[in-house]
Amino acid sequence: MSKRVVAVLLAAVMVSGAFTGCGKTKERVNEEGESVITVWSPSDEPAIEEWWLRKIEEFNRLYEGEIELRREAIVRADSYAYEDKVNAAITSDDLPDILYVDGPNVSIYAANEVTIPLDDYFSKEEWDDFFDSSKQQNTYDGNIYAVGATESSVALYYNKDLLDEAGIDIPESKEDAWTWSEYYEAAKKLTKDGVVGTNIIMDKGEGLSYVLEQFWISNGTDFVNEEGSSAKGYLNSAEGIEAAKFLNSLIQDGYANIDPIQKEFHNGRAATMLGGSWEVATLEKDYPDLNWGVTYFPVADKDSILTSPTGDWAASVTKNVQDMDAVKEVMRFLFSEENVTTYAQAISKPPTRVSSYDVLTEYNEYPRSIFKEQLMETGHPRPRTPSYSVLTAEFAEAMLDIFTGVDPEEALNAAAEAVDKDYNKYYAND
Amino acid sequence: MTKRKTLGNIVFYFGNTLVALIFVSPLIWMIASSLKPEAQIFKGLNSLSTFMPKDASLNNYLEVFQRINMWKFIGNSLFYVLVIILLDLLVNSICGYALAKFEFKGKNLLLTLVISLMVFPAEAIMLPMYREMADLGWINSWASLIVPFVAKCFSIYMFRQFFMDIPDELLEAASIDGCGPVKTFFNVVMPISGTVYATIFILDFVAHWNDFMWPLLVVTGEEKRTIQLAIQTFFGSKPINYGPIMASLTISAIPMLVMFIFLQKYYVEGIASTGIKG
Amino acid sequence: MIRRKGGFVVQKLVNKASERKAAYIFIFPAVVLLAAFLIYPSLQTIRYAFTDYNIMRPDRIVFCGLNNFIELFRDKDFWIAVKNTLYFTVLVVPFQTVLALALALLISSRRKGVSIFRAAYFSPQVTSMVVVAILWTVMYNSSPDSGLLNALLVNLGLEPCGFLNDPDTAMNSIIFMSAWQGAGYQMMIFLAGLQGISPEQYEAASIDGAGKIASFFYVTLPGLKNVIQYVVMITVIQAMKLFTQPYVMTKGGPQNSTRTLVYYIYEQGFQKRNFGYACAVAAIFFVIVISLSLGMKKIIKAD
Repeated sequence: MSKRVVAVLLAAVMVSGAFTGCGKTKERVNEEGESVITVWSPSDEPAIEEWWLRKIEEFNRLYEGEIELRREAIVRADSYAYEDKVNAAITSDDLPDILYVDGPNVSIYAANEVTIPLDDYFSKEEWDDFFDSSKQQNTYDGNIYAVGATESSVALYYNKDLLDEAGIDIPESKEDAWTWSEYYEAAKKLTKDGVVGTNIIMDKGEGLSYVLEQFWISNGTDFVNEEGSSAKGYLNSAEGIEAAKFLNSLIQDGYANIDPIQKEFHNGRAATMLGGSWEVATLEKDYPDLNWGVTYFPVADKDSILTSPTGDWAASVTKNVQDMDAVKEVMRFLFSEENVTTYAQAISKPPTRVSSYDVLTEYNEYPRSIFKEQLMETGHPRPRTPSYSVLTAEFAEAMLDIFTGVDPEEALNAAAEAVDKDYNKYYAND
Repeated sequence: MTKRKTLGNIVFYFGNTLVALIFVSPLIWMIASSLKPEAQIFKGLNSLSTFMPKDASLNNYLEVFQRINMWKFIGNSLFYVLVIILLDLLVNSICGYALAKFEFKGKNLLLTLVISLMVFPAEAIMLPMYREMADLGWINSWASLIVPFVAKCFSIYMFRQFFMDIPDELLEAASIDGCGPVKTFFNVVMPISGTVYATIFILDFVAHWNDFMWPLLVVTGEEKRTIQLAIQTFFGSKPINYGPIMASLTISAIPMLVMFIFLQKYYVEGIASTGIKG
Repeated sequence: MIRRKGGFVVQKLVNKASERKAAYIFIFPAVVLLAAFLIYPSLQTIRYAFTDYNIMRPDRIVFCGLNNFIELFRDKDFWIAVKNTLYFTVLVVPFQTVLALALALLISSRRKGVSIFRAAYFSPQVTSMVVVAILWTVMYNSSPDSGLLNALLVNLGLEPCGFLNDPDTAMNSIIFMSAWQGAGYQMMIFLAGLQGISPEQYEAASIDGAGKIASFFYVTLPGLKNVIQYVVMITVIQAMKLFTQPYVMTKGGPQNSTRTLVYYIYEQGFQKRNFGYACAVAAIFFVIVISLSLGMKKIIKAD
């Protein structure tokens, strides 16, 4: 009787005991004495997964006896899931050597000394080959903390048939990019018969900051100051409030949906859309019947400062790294001219190296040429501040509150205050 | 007599069918969407046509199996969820039984503790739990997915409530027959509690099968990746392709439905096994 | 077996000792596991509540006394979260419980095809939250051109409703959706409970002349007493812990109307990396909900 129970319990304990001790922290030297370099990057499409397998094999062959490169794929649902995982690894001091992070988060890790500067990984000439927008995104407090292989951009997609029907002209060059007034008028004309003039809400999370910051920049201000230490006087400046009011007018007057259904533009329910460079592939593949075009990101009425969103994932080196020489070799390999080109090709995103465009000639043709032009000439990355996660969450909340009726000045003031509070609490005394 | 019975039947079937359709509609939409080509999924959402798959095909399913190692991930999820539940049913039922039927020092304290601990939300203690896993060296092991979840306050409490309803006379009869408390539990109480065990089985199965946050934190790479993690990878690409997402979610729903149907017999048997036999 | 009275008393005493021994063996595995994996991390959380732990700097954890708690009491977002959570709980618990009981009664019949209905009512539990969120966001879409419910309202000649985009209706929309999704869970528990009521009791009642409604009140409800107690208790606790719906569908908005306590904890701790502060909120959360559940236990015991 009790014997049987004890036996069952013992068995259960033994069974669970068998599972212990299976986890290991990062191995830094393997049995053959090679330095092990571990990379964490998001799980991605098959083309990219294959790229990794090929490149890792290639690298390990080249550096046999010296370095072994390993990769662990992390699930990235939306960016937050990946960040949660990295946060957990930080608390247990168990980071990989190379960590891929989403563009605007580079500064957060840099400011918190989770990652280290890599200015000396490339020579000055080599750095010159990389886009300014990419380098800017990855720079904090004067040093570069990450390298990216791909970029992204956002432009104004339009439905040719609907625009022709309404008699609206499309800008031919970026100097003719629509001003806000022109954008508003067009959206107004196009809103009819169950179709809405435009779509400005890419998603209700990071998409809001990513796309809409440019309205602040075009109007002569930004979200935060250059050091990234304060949002007051920027996010909630007069120009900023003006930008928010403009965006809100599109929603309140019914020319843009506060709740756009997925693929609104693709299904012809919105006449224009502020969409990412990646939409080109989708439209070409899944929506062949749609007659669409792309043009430049709209600019403010006043000074018409040309600007467009940029930003993509980049690789940084963490403080847990031990073999500095090995990790430098890996980074130089992963971001060589050839590998940036092949990676960008595999993932169908614009590369960050100027030299890659000699190979990937599709970017010389419309519509991809618009994105290339914007990247090279008008692109602005998101703010570099250690309080970015607070900033983007507060901004998204403020905009959604404004769209549902809160006074823009009030909402932006609250958001700016929250950002400053976070910065002052953790970073002001460094 | 028969007329009333037929009217009763009509009301029963009609009423239930109507309500059931409302409840089942998202599941149907999910399955219908999984059969549609990408461009169709978000078309016509303000009419009932969205429940009909036009141009139906299995392409999304093919893509899912080509893109990710679905069988492995289903296998991983099945493995760790089933182990949790089997240990869960054992460990929590004996604890609940003790709380229901035994007298011992500290009983009230334990009961209060169990009820209080039900309150702690996973999100609040996840980070300390993660650190604990790291300290134990369990990161990326089955232990971290299984062991912390074997003991569950909800289960203990539920077992207690149900065991309290078992008449004491039944237990005394067993003890007069010479059964010690342990034998009484395993030979007398367990066999008549099929329904409770089945209920907790299915509820815990669903809870763990859909779990995302914790496996995300403790699992890296593909070896032990669970199915929910795998499905989330589809959300990582820009633009998001909903076709394979719907297909993989449909696939993910199947084991739960299978378990559910399989456990139905414990609900039918339930009635026959209570009550004191003369 | 016939025992003399004296012998019987000895038998009972012996049983008591072995009963106690058995009790300790029975509770041992659960207690050990709970202590290690629930109590210990919870104590850690409470410990961090007194520090300024920023997730990014695990090496710089500084004890800061009651600072977090003082800030908390002054934080209007915290109090709004408390209000939202209580509002949600007070409405969803009765709604969902009654719905679940009704469903359970609706299908606790021996007719053919009952198991299909059972599966149907349980299916929202089986449908992933992702799909549920997408679908309900679509159903609740504020434009009559895109939202099923609004299209229906407009067809009936009513004004379209903002649902999730209107701070006045967002929480109610979530309540309705949560009840729909959660009812299946409690329904299963009620079904198990209904099985435990022996048919002889119903027969006895009908012999005494009780109709369907009377036997519901005199046989079913009392027979379900323990089960109802359990269901209400766990539903309250699960309602207070509401996280997934705000996380997936509204991110706490619009205008703070759907920010619940657990969502606030997650937001502060993981997104804004204010982990110490989040733990303080968690600690207060524990206190609120534990008081609530123990208070409820006392009330029900007095029943």
